[in-house]
Amino acid sequence: MHESIRPSRRDALRLLSSGFGMLALRGIAGAAPQTSPLAPKAAARAKRVVFLCMSGAPSHVDTFDHKPGLVKRDGATLSGYRRGAKLMASPWKFLPSGKSGLMISELFPALREQADEMCLLRGMYTDVPAHPQAFAKLHTGSFQFVRPSLGSWSLYGLGTENENLPGFVTLNPPSRNGGAQNYGSAFLPATYQGLPIGLQRSGRRRSGDGSGPVDDIRNPRMTREQQRAQLDLLEKLQREHARREGGNDDVEAVIQSYELAFRMQSDLPDLLDLGSESKKTLDAYGIGDDETDQFGRQCLIARRMAEAGVRFIEVGMGGWDHHRRLREDLPAKCREIDRPIAALLADLKRSGLLDETLVIWGGEFGRTPYAQNGDGRDHNNRGFTTWMAGGGVKGGTSYGATDENGIEAVEGRTSIHDWHATILHLLGLDHERLTYPYAGREFRLTDVHGEVVRDILA
Amino acid sequence: MMQRSLSLTLVGVTLTAGLGLAAAAPAPLAQERDRQQVLERLLRRYDLDLDGTISEEEFPRSRRAFRRLDRDRDGALTRADFAPRDPSTGAAPGDEAGGAASDADAAFFEERVLPILEKECYSCHSSGTRRLKGDLRVDSRASLLAGGATGPAIVPGDLDASLLIEAVRYEDPIFAMPPREALPDEAVRDLERWVEMGAPWPSAADDVHGTEAQVVEDLAGSPALDREIDLEEGRQAWSFQTPTPHEAPDVADADWAWTDVDRFLLAAMEERGVEPVEDADRRTWLRRVTFDLTGLPPTPEEIDAFVGDGAEGAYERVVDRLLASPAVGERFGRHWLDVARYGESSGKQTNIVYPHAWRYRDFVIDAVNADMPYDEFLRKQIAGDLLEAEDADERAENLVATGYLAIGPKSHNERDPRQFAVDLVDEQIDAMSQGVIGLTLSCARCHDHKFDPVPIEDYYALAGIFMSTETRFGTRATLGNRRAADLIDLPEGADVAFGPTMDSELRRFLDRTRRRLNRSQEMSPKTSGDEPLDRLKKRVENDQIDVIGDLLERFDESGRANAKNRLAMGAVDGIARDIAVLERGELDRPGDVVPRGFPQVLDGEWAPEIESGSGRLELSEWITDPQHPLTARVWVNRVWLHLFGAGIVRTPDNFGAGGMAPDHPELLDRLAHDFVAGGWSTKSLVRELVLTHAYRLASSDDESSAAVDPEAVTRWRMPDRRLEAEAIRDAMLVVSGTLDPERPVGSPTGAIEGTIRREELADYLTRERPVRSIYLPSLRGHLVDALDVFDAPDSAFVCGDREETSVATQALYLMNDADVVRLADAFAERVMREADSERARIERAFELAVGREPSRREKKAVSRFLADFKKLEPSKSSTSSSRRGRRRARESELARPKTVEHAAWSAFAQTLFQSAEFRAIG
Repeated sequence: MHESIRPSRRDALRLLSSGFGMLALRGIAGAAPQTSPLAPKAAARAKRVVFLCMSGAPSHVDTFDHKPGLVKRDGATLSGYRRGAKLMASPWKFLPSGKSGLMISELFPALREQADEMCLLRGMYTDVPAHPQAFAKLHTGSFQFVRPSLGSWSLYGLGTENENLPGFVTLNPPSRNGGAQNYGSAFLPATYQGLPIGLQRSGRRRSGDGSGPVDDIRNPRMTREQQRAQLDLLEKLQREHARREGGNDDVEAVIQSYELAFRMQSDLPDLLDLGSESKKTLDAYGIGDDETDQFGRQCLIARRMAEAGVRFIEVGMGGWDHHRRLREDLPAKCREIDRPIAALLADLKRSGLLDETLVIWGGEFGRTPYAQNGDGRDHNNRGFTTWMAGGGVKGGTSYGATDENGIEAVEGRTSIHDWHATILHLLGLDHERLTYPYAGREFRLTDVHGEVVRDILA
Repeated sequence: MMQRSLSLTLVGVTLTAGLGLAAAAPAPLAQERDRQQVLERLLRRYDLDLDGTISEEEFPRSRRAFRRLDRDRDGALTRADFAPRDPSTGAAPGDEAGGAASDADAAFFEERVLPILEKECYSCHSSGTRRLKGDLRVDSRASLLAGGATGPAIVPGDLDASLLIEAVRYEDPIFAMPPREALPDEAVRDLERWVEMGAPWPSAADDVHGTEAQVVEDLAGSPALDREIDLEEGRQAWSFQTPTPHEAPDVADADWAWTDVDRFLLAAMEERGVEPVEDADRRTWLRRVTFDLTGLPPTPEEIDAFVGDGAEGAYERVVDRLLASPAVGERFGRHWLDVARYGESSGKQTNIVYPHAWRYRDFVIDAVNADMPYDEFLRKQIAGDLLEAEDADERAENLVATGYLAIGPKSHNERDPRQFAVDLVDEQIDAMSQGVIGLTLSCARCHDHKFDPVPIEDYYALAGIFMSTETRFGTRATLGNRRAADLIDLPEGADVAFGPTMDSELRRFLDRTRRRLNRSQEMSPKTSGDEPLDRLKKRVENDQIDVIGDLLERFDESGRANAKNRLAMGAVDGIARDIAVLERGELDRPGDVVPRGFPQVLDGEWAPEIESGSGRLELSEWITDPQHPLTARVWVNRVWLHLFGAGIVRTPDNFGAGGMAPDHPELLDRLAHDFVAGGWSTKSLVRELVLTHAYRLASSDDESSAAVDPEAVTRWRMPDRRLEAEAIRDAMLVVSGTLDPERPVGSPTGAIEGTIRREELADYLTRERPVRSIYLPSLRGHLVDALDVFDAPDSAFVCGDREETSVATQALYLMNDADVVRLADAFAERVMREADSERARIERAFELAVGREPSRREKKAVSRFLADFKKLEPSKSSTSSSRRGRRRARESELARPKTVEHAAWSAFAQTLFQSAEFRAIG
């Protein structure tokens, strides 16, 4: 058995200094380790994560997995797969990019310039070619059970760097595909749950679109002092009730969520207000252009959150499920993210933040190199590509490979557990030792699996 | 021209192929292209079984016309009958002889030619475009060779024969392309040179349709994605066995177990070595059962009465009192509406209002209150239109019930009516299969089910039933709504409400808008209607005038709904037919036609045969057959879930292999069996469950039991639960004394028509009203904030088990939302009115909000808070940064508190809303 990571005294003190007061400390001390951040044990390369999550599953063979052989075999019928499955070459060219010459699709003219920062994981695979399951797997490592999400584990392992902001934010998460489960903390304490800002719902988005102001961020009547007094009363009443009724963990979580909400009121509006950004920056992210505006804003907000010390920032972009109209819709989708992501990487690099920020891009699986509807691609869980940049990964490299057609990961096969293990490792967390006691045993994000992909570590 | 006029008379749709390139079409070629379109149109209209051909039975016109069209005399109209007569006039698709390209050619094509085609032509002439013009695609060599309505677009090597070249040369003004502006000379020269070169098109850039297939060997180690379904083996799964009435097991502690349910549970606990915790106190139990059955908190008076009722049968009396309350329908009705994905607008891209959906909502609430047997409840929803009715009232009820099939989300802007039809059917199958029988049958739409023994044929057997059904979802066809349908007229003589009353603000707005539109129409010069933009504007305005006209027709001057509003959403039988299996769910890949029927794995001997009609009646009988293994189990499990916090099957919408197994299979069986044997009475089931010892338990923790069974799967304790969004909001209304408990007539949505495009409309509809939350509009994508923030579902799909998040946005809502502040004000006023001393007021506030007296310390803390708060600087003026905040502020100035005293009491009252205790049921 490995020794589990336990909270350090320093972390407890840091929490203490954040304004909870003695009463709060007693509550926390009583509940340890449930509500205490833990110290990293391995050498951390990254302090935080920006996860650019592409729900719907982008086609790898049209974006980051160059398959010249497909061109030759274009139209060939594949046996062993779906009846009548015909290979379809990517309609787009791949071009050597950056000094490293990584082959990246022409669909990403701006992002290609950042190729030397990127490490392509071309041997990814996952369990099931169905969106809800694979999306849950990508986020929580499990699709059968409700488990804490990657962001929750990261926050649990590292604690927060900014008491005035949530440590785990998810911008524009999809309401389908498991919904809140993907940023949920499951059996981890509720404080490690992600805060959703903007939901991809069918019409309007809750709390703005992930780029606008958050609803109810200001009280329409009370001064800050009055509201502080109100929350002090609330907490006193809560704790008094909990004391008499026996320890209710929920009370502590509720108090913390009010405290966080109270502190967010001062910092979050400023953070989400892009008014202080220069025209040049806004342009770089494509803000103001129809296609790139929304994702550009989200990427810029992600950068600002990274600067402000948010530990795990997920930025959601749906609409990658190209069963048909690939030729028209995929380029449009790529245009929506190309400039924003390129600007994000460039920006983080310029400020030196990229070294300590791990940027991840990927969806729940890939797509088939064979055609569907003549102009689309089907789900493919057996091989796909994600990439990482910054925070301790070797830029300008690719790791792993799919077979000659791009169907099956054959080299450097990387499971979701491996992927999780690697991300935690880069954050300085040993995935085998980041555990939480529940239901009579120690649970971890990677269950009993997962190997760190050491070849990609810088 | 015979074919063209035939198509006009047959289809009644003006052909649009004449636009674009066809304008200068050589007549014979145009006709050949038109023939293909004629077939397409015929298929859309008459290919009922979706098999890609039209049989003589499907063709409703004269026999002679059919024979004339059926050129190859094979008894069906197929592509062959509509193929161009002489294929040699155009290069056949698939001719790749000249397509192979040398590297230099390829480079020329990719650098010089392809960019022109992509930039200038693709928007109207590619497979991806929404508006394909002239039936011409230029996104592959094959389609250029095949050409469009006017014939081949290119003839490799022959400039003069290539219509593409003729068009870009801009010689003939009618036939010139691109339509707005001629290409630069250089571009024209590039295209000419390319055609002269033989139009090389490197296969990498080509469309797969045109390329020659070659067979690649099996890839080693790649198992096929297809798997064989073994039905026999599949039938062995636990959930496909008809439930058997297991005897309750013996238990050691016989005194503890009051009922058979308790005996099942205790036996499992004893086996695992856990012990049930102590019983909850009377207050806790009363709060629990009152919220669970009615969604409302118990009043202080009810609490006092129950706590003081020492007589035998006190618990039973409470349960019977609650079950008789109409609030039960509002509580369990909401549970069903989650499952029925109830929504009052279409959602998806266009989000069109469904102004008559509320009748279905009311049907559900009334059915629960009347304890309508669950089998009857389902039969009415699936096939109410086909059921016998005693009188007009019952007939109306039956029709309204079929609204279940019509209220789902839909893409009203779908161009292809067949695509819309199959999507609609898929949505119905998805809702019904997950909601009623706990199977994800929609997974078998494109391929055999990945986990369950349901082959794709079974899906299309079921889909045939719904394809034979006409879903009447209403809405008016407009520019933005391509798919409208009729509604159902409720029968004469039935006692049904006309509908909601339109408030005067809305009425004035509509009148104003109509006047403005009419003026605009009059003023627009009639002659200049040729400008496309003008025409478009005119059409949009006409649409709006029509929609408003439709709406106002159903309301009288005072805003009351009139008899014309006796309309409902629902379903009636259409043309009965079997349909083809669509490979991978695609319309252009029809396979064999399969007879209508039920999933084979559940098609027991008890299943009825479909003989005539759509088969919906038989479907409703099949689903509610006492031997159906899933229907009762799924419902009993849902009821259990709402009382005990988690289902016996923890995936309430999935009883298949992808779901979880029951943690008490024998208990579930027994409950399902007894439920059916006892006449499908939901209220009896609820009564039985809440009077068990298990339901009486406290929610307190126990270390040794928790170590063995941390999730209390054995039910050794009751869980701590958070109230649902509706209950939180309703409780705030009750406590503040502002709830109007009456059911409003209709829904605010009922006085609206058209698309929810503007935020203002959604804001108007979702504004705060002091009614129970179930009566607030359920617009898809525009949930009421109070509900949205606490995880109410968006009704896009079946939701048997809501999410339960605890995030800072909820804290922000309870701290800052104007509605919450207003309710706190009302609560404070109530407390100040109902009690005189500070002490009495504090006590009253606690009793109302959390059903208990405050402790001495709590009273002291509140008292000090009130004193301190009054000393603080007074409140600032209101400025809100959020859109919603501004809207609310506008809607009704959130007044500053009347006095410092009131401000302090309001701030305290709000803390009670904010407390974890307020939203918890232990």
